[in-house]
Amino acid sequence: MTEREVVIGHRLGIHARAAARLVQLSSQYQSTIVLFRSDSANLIEADARSILSILLLAAGFGSKVSVRAEGVDESQAVETICEYLAG
Amino acid sequence: MREERIIRGVVASVGTAIGKAVRTFDPLFVSFNFKLRQDQVRKEIDRFRSSVEKSREQLKRMQSELKRKSGPESSFLIDAHLLVLQDRLFVDRIIEKIETDWINSEWAIQQVSDDLFQAYDRLNDDYLRERRGDLDDIVRRLLHNLQSKPLPSFKKLPYDAILVGKLVPPSTLFELRSQRIVGLATETGSPLSHTAIMARSLEIPAIVGAPELAEVASGDLLIVDGDRGVVIWSPSDETVATYKNRDRDGKKLKKKPGVSMSAPSVTEDSVQISLGANINFSEEVRSASAHGCEFIGLYRTEFDFFREGKQSDEESLVADYSVVLKTAKGAPVTFRTIDVGIDQKSWDGVNMNLGVRGLRFCLENTDIFKKQLRSLYRASVHGPTRILLPFVSSVDDLDAAHLVIDEVRHELRARRQRYDPHVPIGVMIETPAAAQTCDLMASRVDFFCLGTNDLIQYYLVVDRSDQSVVHLYNPFHPAILRCLQQVYTLLRPTGKPVTVCGEMAADPPSAAVLLGLGFTSLSVSLAAYSRIQRMIRSVSVSQLKALVDEILKMQKPKEVEEKVRATVYRT
Repeated sequence: MTEREVVIGHRLGIHARAAARLVQLSSQYQSTIVLFRSDSANLIEADARSILSILLLAAGFGSKVSVRAEGVDESQAVETICEYLAG
Repeated sequence: MREERIIRGVVASVGTAIGKAVRTFDPLFVSFNFKLRQDQVRKEIDRFRSSVEKSREQLKRMQSELKRKSGPESSFLIDAHLLVLQDRLFVDRIIEKIETDWINSEWAIQQVSDDLFQAYDRLNDDYLRERRGDLDDIVRRLLHNLQSKPLPSFKKLPYDAILVGKLVPPSTLFELRSQRIVGLATETGSPLSHTAIMARSLEIPAIVGAPELAEVASGDLLIVDGDRGVVIWSPSDETVATYKNRDRDGKKLKKKPGVSMSAPSVTEDSVQISLGANINFSEEVRSASAHGCEFIGLYRTEFDFFREGKQSDEESLVADYSVVLKTAKGAPVTFRTIDVGIDQKSWDGVNMNLGVRGLRFCLENTDIFKKQLRSLYRASVHGPTRILLPFVSSVDDLDAAHLVIDEVRHELRARRQRYDPHVPIGVMIETPAAAQTCDLMASRVDFFCLGTNDLIQYYLVVDRSDQSVVHLYNPFHPAILRCLQQVYTLLRPTGKPVTVCGEMAADPPSAAVLLGLGFTSLSVSLAAYSRIQRMIRSVSVSQLKALVDEILKMQKPKEVEEKVRATVYRT
């Protein structure tokens, strides 16, 4: 399992376009990937392949999100996704 | 439990109904929620999947078109939609619902999306909250695509349903008439819309123009009270009990048509009034016969003609019309040729009332017109048939129509098909032009009908489907009284019979005014038949003539209305 925290660098937060891109990125990996807000009491885990759950994270600009992956390509997945989210 | 709440609206059809709300999702289609049998679950999931597939294809096409037109920039919005269609949180949960709860796709979609909508609404982010719009869009697309697939074999809703929606199109009400629809309640619309007319003829209590209905959800218990003009939302047990008792009394009355129905309608001072029925579908004719109707004064043919959105072919039209004539058992039936354009505004936002309507449409689409005329003539051997032309505005219109009618008769002779060569042809007086010039048309026709709904609309310049002006629609306006008096005076010397068949004839006070003006033939919906008959028997025409003299001198619609109501209801 690999996990890393990232600060959202997109001006609008994880909005529709960013969420769509995130789903597309996550779909390239075999690992299961989840996101959760590490800066709030909202402990809902979002499936990185579900656009609806990502949007429901409501991760705005500057909010902290943890990316956790489990599987053969977990470290690569976490790296790519964090890089994208950091903007 | 929610508290009982009273929602005010406008009466479109009388009577009361208790049932559960079934929300219509869109003015163009309705989706039902119902339980499946276990053996139907597999098929239902396939049905859902194919709707997802179809939606995906549509979005892909849209996306490539967008890319071509405006580059890749704007197509990401479609990406989001496409991703929702493969989102486990959405698709898998819907399938799971169908599987575990044995419910149809529409219901499952509604449940899952309702949960998601609530989650979105809780978000503290305006931008993201707006994303519910995307989900909404997807839901509508899915539901729409589900509609194009035939529904599983459900003939009836699992409970007494009250259709609730922003606006329910007449065709929807028509298509659902075999369902257990006990009531109708819409946020917009007016009592003069075709939907309202249809509700009345199907004897379904209906309330329209009640915007507060927007909050009512599918499954909520409702009472539609078409006598008080209200919808009761989440009624208490006590209220339900009161209404149930009343309902029983009402049914008792209905079941006892008695001798009075078929006896002739004669006023107290022995003036014989002909009372006919307005009919929308062939199924109603039997009921009209049972009521003892003397004639069918108006048979609206649009609904048969455009069955399920498709035009019927000549053979099935001949069959339909023949059944109508046979069922009428010798009572004359006045078929109004197709009047498309009515209430079209509610379909696509374009006001068709001043455009290609009625006869204008028929003259521009002579193939359709001829097909209907051929069918009517061929059916005419089965009983006394009359043909009524709607929306005539000049003698030229009539001449053009006669040319087509002659052609049709010629064709039938050439085809050696039997028809009644003496079918009377009539004109519907419903435009101000026709009202002013009906005497000039008299030599070209055999009879007249007076369509007061449109006449009032055009005279008072009030769009009857526009909520903001519908209160100005008033049959007691002095302009209308003068117009009707003029029509009567112009037609009297011609000796051509005239029947009043608008809503004005169906409401006792305004119908009494018609009698006072001299009209002796009315045609009303079945729901209004017995009350108008009662009114006729309780009045004296000589007194009504005096009343008319008096109200013709009045200045304000309100004054006229109060005077008439006081006089008619005093008896």
